Amino acid sequence: MTISRKCVPFTPFDRELSKSTIAIVTAGGVHLKDQEPFNVADELGDLGYREIPPDVDSSDLMVTHHHYDHRDADEDINVVFPIDVLRDLQAEGFIGGIAKKHIGYMGYTMQLKAMYEGTAREIANEIDKGSRADVVVLTGG
Amino acid sequence: MKGIPTVLITVSPEVSAQMRPPRALYPKGFKIGNSLGRPGMRDLQKKVLGDALNLLNENTRPGKIVTIEYPEYGEQYEPPRVKQVGS
Repeated sequence: MTISRKCVPFTPFDRELSKSTIAIVTAGGVHLKDQEPFNVADELGDLGYREIPPDVDSSDLMVTHHHYDHRDADEDINVVFPIDVLRDLQAEGFIGGIAKKHIGYMGYTMQLKAMYEGTAREIANEIDKGSRADVVVLTGG
Repeated sequence: MKGIPTVLITVSPEVSAQMRPPRALYPKGFKIGNSLGRPGMRDLQKKVLGDALNLLNENTRPGKIVTIEYPEYGEQYEPPRVKQVGS
């Protein structure tokens, strides 16, 4: 399937937030400290992504990304990957739950077509398979 | 393919607009690397994420980026601009 650049691929939302499960997909280069870091040495960018589990301790996360200043994220990962914020919203009943999978990738690439047609679809499929997400929140750096 | 509703939080609204995201929030004046606010500002982070999620239930125009101001963020930053061809 080709996605028209003229059309916005809008999926309606017809649920209540308080009964919905939320996933985070971030381009901010977030990954677990024990996962392989993104390859910042490749000038074309790293097309890979990392799966982040729902029960992650936010202190076990880190950022590998050389195209934005991530010192604030190093101090509090929630400024780009709001997993603890989601937990607060769940505790307050604002959202129903936290998805079983979240994704970090490095949103810098000189390989736009491969990112758009490859990585982006792989991430969408990853979320579609077993994350049980009703909604995805996207963040950049 | 059924699709999953998304909402984007962006601090580079001009750059993001080029991709025409279905729903997007620009917290005005937040710098790159501070999509949800500054470190430790949990109340602000909650407000930003809540506002972004609330866009799902609002009748937003697909491709439009909604700007919201958060004075508690403090010092404001100019977002990156998209270079106009020919200008």
